[in-house]
Amino acid sequence: MKLIKGKLRLVALALSLMLVTLIVYGAYSLGLSGNRWFSSSINTSLRKVRADVIPGRIYDRNGIQLAGSNTAGDRLYHQDELTRRGLVHALGMKDGTVKNGVEVFLSYLLYAYDASYLSRLTAAFTGQMRQGYDLRLSLSSGLSRLVAEQFPAGKAGAVVVMNYRTGELLTLASFPNFDPLRAQGVLGDPQKPYINNATQWRSAPGSTFKVITMAAALQHIPDVRSRTFTCEGELPVGDIVITDALNARHGQISLERALSISCNITFAQLALELTDEQLRQTARAFGLDDHVLFSDLVVEDSSYPTSNRVPKELAWTGPGQSALHITPLQMCMAAAAIANDGVMMEPKLLLQAVDSRKVGKSQMVPTVYRTPLNRSEAKIIAQAMRQAVAGGTATRARVAGLQVAGKTGSAQVDRQELTNAWFIGFLDEPTLPYALCVVVMDAGEGSRHAAPLAGKIFQYIKDNQ
Amino acid sequence: MRTRVQGDSRRLTLPGMLFFFLGFLLLGLQTPDYRAFMLAVLVPLAFYLVTAALLRLLSADRVLLCLVNFLCALGILALYRLNPARGLGQTFNYAVGLLGMVGCMLLVRFWQRFRWTLPLIALAALVLMALPLMFGTVKNGAKAWVSLLGVSFQPSEIVKVAMVLVMAFLLSRRMVLLALAFAGVCLGLLFLQRDLGTALLYYAISLVLVYVSTGSLTFLALGTLGAGAGAVLGYQMNTYVQNRVSIWQNPWQDPYGIAWQVVQSLVAMVNAGPWGTGLGLGNARTIPEVETDFIFAAVFHEFGLVFGILVILIYLLIFLRGVGVARRARTRFHTLLALGCSCFIALQTFVIIGGNINLIPLTGVTLPFMSYGGTSLVSSLCIMGLLQGVANANEHGLEEDQLMALMGEEDG
Repeated sequence: MKLIKGKLRLVALALSLMLVTLIVYGAYSLGLSGNRWFSSSINTSLRKVRADVIPGRIYDRNGIQLAGSNTAGDRLYHQDELTRRGLVHALGMKDGTVKNGVEVFLSYLLYAYDASYLSRLTAAFTGQMRQGYDLRLSLSSGLSRLVAEQFPAGKAGAVVVMNYRTGELLTLASFPNFDPLRAQGVLGDPQKPYINNATQWRSAPGSTFKVITMAAALQHIPDVRSRTFTCEGELPVGDIVITDALNARHGQISLERALSISCNITFAQLALELTDEQLRQTARAFGLDDHVLFSDLVVEDSSYPTSNRVPKELAWTGPGQSALHITPLQMCMAAAAIANDGVMMEPKLLLQAVDSRKVGKSQMVPTVYRTPLNRSEAKIIAQAMRQAVAGGTATRARVAGLQVAGKTGSAQVDRQELTNAWFIGFLDEPTLPYALCVVVMDAGEGSRHAAPLAGKIFQYIKDNQ
Repeated sequence: MRTRVQGDSRRLTLPGMLFFFLGFLLLGLQTPDYRAFMLAVLVPLAFYLVTAALLRLLSADRVLLCLVNFLCALGILALYRLNPARGLGQTFNYAVGLLGMVGCMLLVRFWQRFRWTLPLIALAALVLMALPLMFGTVKNGAKAWVSLLGVSFQPSEIVKVAMVLVMAFLLSRRMVLLALAFAGVCLGLLFLQRDLGTALLYYAISLVLVYVSTGSLTFLALGTLGAGAGAVLGYQMNTYVQNRVSIWQNPWQDPYGIAWQVVQSLVAMVNAGPWGTGLGLGNARTIPEVETDFIFAAVFHEFGLVFGILVILIYLLIFLRGVGVARRARTRFHTLLALGCSCFIALQTFVIIGGNINLIPLTGVTLPFMSYGGTSLVSSLCIMGLLQGVANANEHGLEEDQLMALMGEEDG
């Protein structure tokens, strides 16, 4: 009997711990992901909440009102159509036409989900609608309008502009877009204007990926900067041949030069030398294969190819042409990390939330997401990207009086007739810490079709600083 | 000592009565409904009668009884809110369950006289367990239900009671091999029915009882390894299990498809906030199978996080109280029986609430005392009856103990 009773204590302890785990885990997961679950489009209770609460107003970074509500409960938007179009994907719509977006993903603030029990009770008894929190976002309505105006007509794509020191997003635009005041029939549109291509579309980023391959080379190949690479115009790997755009032959070049003129052969050689493991390691440091959970926005996970044990696949990954799946936002963050001495900030949309009595409910805190490379590696890549703008493939992004760094990309995807034009870049200016990513799908070369828009955006930033 | 405990339980009874009175009153007022008003009187009354009056006839652990009744009544309230017909049905199940509970108490109390029925109980258990394989219907991937004379029930729920009794008895007599064989046959039959959640419970209980009675760490280690192997095997062989595991790993990868149920449960809980939406104001009915598998999420949804935590704490208290009964027991049989009963309730609670909050993959076992389901409620109350029988024997069985000692019954 004594033997049994000694064991009782052990069993009692083990099972009690299991039951306590239920409480701890439940409270922990609700605390960690509660807002996310509440705001997800699957939450059918939101409809009920919406009947009781007037959603808060939304302002841009300069205090310009982007969305409000009238007494009938309809959502009101900015009076200018181009501004509305430029912001529609970032803001989203409360009926979920655009999945996520501020109107849905931050609905726990717009509908004051954390309001005190007392205020709920008061509202229930007085019959008054409760007032949600007003949000001030990091978005710039002026820049978003410019982007909507200047983006190549009739093309699909995305533009992301962010402050690389703080992570604040100035523009998160997707094309084709639509006017939220005329949203009927949008969900049936075969062009799918309701999808946010900046965060939900993933593709091979073409040569813009070379900045990541270059980071891997700097990290894993000690003498890579003193080496000279030979580009013969062709590099046979297995049963395929890697070539350069326009079948160019670059001859003897350094690593920096290879980036600024975008030499595929050099970056294919580097990928093969790095091996799949090392390239993957660096790509993951840049946020690929991560399960992305940002506080202010929902982003599809970007991924590194799983099929890279085959040399020819690996060789094409170096110049960014294989089964890479990367969102424009993620590439913007890569450029931002290089600009910010290797520190990648978490992208943010919400600067501040206040309740109807102007009491602060949420305040932006710049958050480091990752540190994919160190300061000196970042400086080397930034220098090569400046050369690309000064005298390489990205000269069309030049802006007089500004230090612009950039990298173009022309990604061949599926059997598209024309390539997707990519551009990532940033301003190397202490007072204008902005990075961007421009993607114009099915347009041609990045140098010709994406870089000029980047130049216009930088010019706007300079003129409106 | 005894008066203090009685005082405690009275303090527990009154707020409980008030709680249910107000709860049903509220439901009645929301949609003028005379049946709810009736229940507003009847449920508190039953709550009082069972906790106070029953104990005048048969002594038992009052706190335990009071907590269990609270959960049963809470289940009726939550079910009535979700589906009045099922709420009313559950009151009937509860009444039957109470009879079963008293029956089981008496069985344990007068075990000396009923001991001869044990082989019959064991045999009946095995026959019952084999029934679904012959006449069963498939429900949620498991072939665990039987329809007999127009009544549909789940034999594995009823066999639980017999299983604890048989295992405790055999192990108290150190017939370990026989006990293992019995558990093995039960488990085999459960596996064939693909009722894996229940199989998991049976397995864990057998493991705990054999470990406690033999004190063999080797057995515990082997058993745990065996459980791991069984889990891998079950996973490999059954796409249903693979689905459940992949939902558990990331319910948000397919929230509108296979993970709809779990995701709706999580969303229901997050909509609750600390104090809940309020009784009758939530919409937990969006969760499929809410009355059986997700009753905890539904209660959480309308009563809130704080109440949800309290419900788990009530289960913890019931378990600890049960272990206390086992510690005070004077025979090996009583100790093992009380422990087996307590562990059954605690483990089952863990498995299903863990599934509700996505701590572990979801299995279709019920939440003891609260889920809708006649078989489940009756069997949970019968298990409580066995436990209360031991509690009763602890207080009254001294003379019988001496008698047993004379008859050669093992006594520590």
